[in-house]
Amino acid sequence: MNDAARDTAAPTVSLAAEYAASGVGPVLQQLDDELVGLAPVKQRIREIAALLLVDRVRAKFGLASEPPTLHMSFTGNPGTGKTTVARRMAEILFKLGYVRRGHLVAVTRDDLVGQYIGHTAPKTKEVLKKAMGGVLFIDEAYYLYRQENERDYGQESIEILLQVMENNRDDLVVILAGYADKMDQFFRSNPGFRSRVAHHIDFPDYTDANLLEIGEKMLAGLSYRLSESARAALTQYIPARRAQPLFANARSIRNALDRARLRQANRLFSEGDQALTLERLTTIEEADIRASRVFGQSPGA
Amino acid sequence: MNVQPSQTVKGKDRYKSGVMEYRKMGYWEPDYEPKDTDVIACFRVTPQDGVDPIEASAAVAGESSTATWTVVWTDRLTATEKYRAKCYRVDPVPGTEGQYFAYIAYDLDLFEPGSISNLTASIIGNVFGFKPLKALRLEDMRLPLAYVKTFQGPATGIVVERERLDKFGRPLLGATVKPKLGLSGRNYGRVVYEALKGGLDFTKDDENINSQPFMHWRERFLYCMEAVAKAEAATGEIKGTYLNVTAATMEDMYERAEFAKELGSCIVMIDLVIGYTAIQSMAKWARRNDMILHLHRAGHSTYTRQKAHGVSFRVIAKWMRLAGVDHIHAGTVVGKLEGDPATTRGYYDICREDFNPMRLEHGVFFDQPWASLNKLMPVASGGIHAGQMHQLLDLLGEDVVLQFGGGTIGHPAGIAAGATANRVALEAMIFARNAGRDYVNEGPTILAEAARSCTPLRQALDVWGDVTFNYASTDQLDFVPTPSVAG
Amino acid sequence: MRVTQGCFSFLPDLTDDDILTQVQYALEKGWAVNLEFTDDPHPRNTYWEMWGLPMFDLHDAKGVLMELEACRKLHGDKYIRLSAFDSSHGWESVRISFLVNRPPHEDGFRLERIAGPGRTQRYEIRGYGLDRPEGARYR
Repeated sequence: MNDAARDTAAPTVSLAAEYAASGVGPVLQQLDDELVGLAPVKQRIREIAALLLVDRVRAKFGLASEPPTLHMSFTGNPGTGKTTVARRMAEILFKLGYVRRGHLVAVTRDDLVGQYIGHTAPKTKEVLKKAMGGVLFIDEAYYLYRQENERDYGQESIEILLQVMENNRDDLVVILAGYADKMDQFFRSNPGFRSRVAHHIDFPDYTDANLLEIGEKMLAGLSYRLSESARAALTQYIPARRAQPLFANARSIRNALDRARLRQANRLFSEGDQALTLERLTTIEEADIRASRVFGQSPGA
Repeated sequence: MNVQPSQTVKGKDRYKSGVMEYRKMGYWEPDYEPKDTDVIACFRVTPQDGVDPIEASAAVAGESSTATWTVVWTDRLTATEKYRAKCYRVDPVPGTEGQYFAYIAYDLDLFEPGSISNLTASIIGNVFGFKPLKALRLEDMRLPLAYVKTFQGPATGIVVERERLDKFGRPLLGATVKPKLGLSGRNYGRVVYEALKGGLDFTKDDENINSQPFMHWRERFLYCMEAVAKAEAATGEIKGTYLNVTAATMEDMYERAEFAKELGSCIVMIDLVIGYTAIQSMAKWARRNDMILHLHRAGHSTYTRQKAHGVSFRVIAKWMRLAGVDHIHAGTVVGKLEGDPATTRGYYDICREDFNPMRLEHGVFFDQPWASLNKLMPVASGGIHAGQMHQLLDLLGEDVVLQFGGGTIGHPAGIAAGATANRVALEAMIFARNAGRDYVNEGPTILAEAARSCTPLRQALDVWGDVTFNYASTDQLDFVPTPSVAG
Repeated sequence: MRVTQGCFSFLPDLTDDDILTQVQYALEKGWAVNLEFTDDPHPRNTYWEMWGLPMFDLHDAKGVLMELEACRKLHGDKYIRLSAFDSSHGWESVRISFLVNRPPHEDGFRLERIAGPGRTQRYEIRGYGLDRPEGARYR
């Protein structure tokens, strides 16, 4: 509390000043800028940040406040931005003083659960030690629990995690992530997790328009652009890809564009006698997109 | 200054009998680019009135390598161009009339591998008495990697010394036994025991404690080692005392060193006055016998202190790192003996870094690679006390032995209390630094806090808290922060 | 008797909060922190038993404290020392080391003297606790 505030009879605190001092604003802005769409997610993150900021201000007034439970679950299909948002969440929590370091440790079952007896506890603890002071992000967390096998080593990892989530609430925040339906099932079978997770955020699939924008952003970041006809091709590609199995939102677009860049390079080689202009080096042409197997399998799309 | 082009006389005229100016004999080569394998020396040259600085500098190159006062035909039986030292640059000393920095390059073949005596016989041999010069000072040397590799280097080194002593993360603490002279062996050992039991890591013989009527060396060694063993049992810590083995002959020194080893000492000590060859012999002995070798720089001020004449201590420090001692007294900045902070920092870097970049603001004239030679532990000794702990840590760093002689033995509550005061002050300061406190500015507060639970420290701060030695240094650096282009 | 090995033995015993500050310092230097325990604190006993492997890649000191708590649960009656390794070239050794646990009673050491030739003595330091079997030394 600053001196001015202490001197007045009825202390006042400017929420705007607190907000500015925390440095959270730029992180939220960055989240807005780097992630296309995801409006409901961004809204939830803002709400959480506001809640935590107000909690902090309340503490300055000496109002009773339990240290908030901050563990979260992020549900949604692959490629919907969960890891990126988790990384920004870690920064926000750090700026607001709810974690000490603000780094993110992302793991899956393989990092936590061992292959033989006595292997799991050290592995889980190793991960927890590295995550201390930051955010532990467990992707596809439900694989920790195997209903069909009650002697699965995952159970041991779950018990250690629950203990640390309860006892070390000041030391780290755990984010469990995965498909919504499987996560629901997981929480039903593990009430210990359900009761310790305070914030559930659902990540919707990207719209086709979102994905096109994401694709163009990715390319711009690598100094490429789509020609007019290539852009049209990609617009057709997106719904076609969505209809196929193993669709992973932004990740599928990234993979498609990686392959398109490969084809572009090959094409430039085969046209070797032409002068290489900057224009040609940076442009993805329609053919680079159209050669995808996605079109081959559903030619009309 | 005006760069004079090379005036080297070529062809048969060069070897005509008679006297010829040095700059015409090939000792002034302004276009010469030193090779990576050349030894380079930077001299401060003060020519006699009327002597041209270039000619004076060329003469230094000549007299420290192949030249004599007259032309000799036997030069023509040798690859003389290679053996001639070449002065390639002469700059006026900033702000000092009549003095010049002369840079001279020497071919590596001029020097015997691994011999400080041979190196110094060339570089500071005859030349310092040369009449056309009023004064001459060796400021710095660049020792090429190829030459560094021919030396053993410190017998033990900072890292292994710490491993053997099991002491990490803080400066080591020592004290020189006082009074310097007159204590019997039995009384002397009492000081050692009290100081070590009280918390010091080392005690030290003074430079002139050898074997005198009041205490022969064996008496000292026997009582000191009783004290060391007893202090180790009392604390569970490894302790040491630098047993000075300096003696009249090598045979005597070996005998004393062997006896120290038999008694289980982890460290022996020598004085700089025994000479470079004896120092190198003892360094080899120390490496063979798992012994730390402490060097007291007795006598150095006779030639290091005056700015215009002699050898800078930074050069001595370089030679000693090559020669292979493990400890060297390198100044305190805040204590009673000579040394300004920037110059002293240069000495410490030479002891402790694997590579010294050229840093004129610290008096370091050349890039100096050390080829992974062990690091040499600097020792700060002379007029320092617990109340300066924050300054000492800030100025000298962590890898240093802090020697509080008077500051331990002069403690009003006794030697052990003096030792405890120093150790508590040190540990409190290290703790505060690591915990992120602004220990330099909060130093006195940190010490006062630590003194609350440590009476000996409170007493020490009461007695010496305000003692300082603020005198102007006689050996300050001459450099301009942005070097002016020599016109 | 108080064994004064390590960097902070002359200060009052460090609290866990104190230890956190020093561990955080080590982590921020990029050093790996290691825990070791022993019931034989002889000054030349270099190899104490390791409590797991040195902890690499930690961000926050709390992780080390978790291990220390676990180690104390099993070895609270022994000496536990915390040290930090610096792997950079030219050092490649311990950078800081200090005690973080002591037995409830420290037995100390006996100094044995064996007469040698002339006036020389051979000295041997023995922990009093060593007269009792391993595992029962500080109980």
